[in-house]
Amino acid sequence: MPTFKFFDLNVHAYPETEVPVEELIRVARRYGYAGIAITNYDEVVKGKEGGQLPPSIANFAFRGIEIRAKSLSELKRRIRLYYGKVPLIVVRGGSKELNEAALKNPMVDVLAPPYGEHGKEGLTHVLVRYAAENDVAIEFNLNAIIHSRRSDRARILGKMRDILKFVRKYKAMPVITSNAHSIYDLRAPREMVALASLFGMQKEEAVHALSDIPEGILEKKWKKKREVEII
Amino acid sequence: MKMKRAKCKSQNKFCLLRFALLLPPTLRERRRYLAFELISEREIDKRELLREIRDSVYSLYGDTGASESKMWLIEYGKNEDANGGTDRCRGVGILRCAHNKVEEVRAALACIHSASGVRLGIRVIGISGTIKGASRLTATVKNEK
Repeated sequence: MPTFKFFDLNVHAYPETEVPVEELIRVARRYGYAGIAITNYDEVVKGKEGGQLPPSIANFAFRGIEIRAKSLSELKRRIRLYYGKVPLIVVRGGSKELNEAALKNPMVDVLAPPYGEHGKEGLTHVLVRYAAENDVAIEFNLNAIIHSRRSDRARILGKMRDILKFVRKYKAMPVITSNAHSIYDLRAPREMVALASLFGMQKEEAVHALSDIPEGILEKKWKKKREVEII
Repeated sequence: MKMKRAKCKSQNKFCLLRFALLLPPTLRERRRYLAFELISEREIDKRELLREIRDSVYSLYGDTGASESKMWLIEYGKNEDANGGTDRCRGVGILRCAHNKVEEVRAALACIHSASGVRLGIRVIGISGTIKGASRLTATVKNEK
């Protein structure tokens, strides 16, 4: 297996959780990651020093923000507030309208749709098409599989399978993340690939979703092209 | 080893009988040994871990899947040389499974998040075809600082 650079784009650390960033980084390095993105909720980070990462770890940990909005206007306002200031904007999805607004907005990098947590709302094929047009990646949150059992897990896996079908059809970008809140939630890249195979992802696809796509997102590879086109 | 012994003592009837009772190589099961490392909040004993691994495999693949995977915990022990975090415990172990069910067992291991209320995470260090090879893999982690 050739060496890939693996990235985990959704990890929560201090001040949102009690785990210091340094400890997460040590474990992630040990597991073979090339980088992780610390995406704390914007409301927690606001007005605290923990929002900035120390420069010593800047080449490994990337700063991101996770936006959890309740209304459309709130979502738009917050995206505009953080755009350009942080390298990674993740939007936690919710209702169908919220998902649609996030996927139509090219400023958003990753959408984390709810898998079974809020029940029925999912992504439809129309929304995934918007995601492909605007280069918004769709997150597959493996923490939801790890921390649920029986019927809950079956529902989540079913939903992921559906979304994967749309993602393949419209060539949207899938991203596999751990959504870890502690060092015990982190999993090594090979384990993530094995977990992704539970909902029907091929090995190559999963490796791609863990390495090339996250790297491209952090470098804004696709977004840059778009900006050039707009000018 | 056993075959060699049988050959050199071929005069001995008992040895011949023993050789005949051994499963022929073509019928023997192909196995893989997974060397894994575990980090947890506090120390976990082998029984707790085994129960959790079994639970995870049964809940993911059901009874038929679990029977096909032929999983068996060979050894598990605390890694005493581990330094690092103050409140972390590290353990290493070897798990046996069928050669074509490695990815399934790996997924089942990754699904374990806690054992009797203690949070933990498992990482597979490597896979080997022999116990000797697997213990060599665990030794590299033990010596790591």
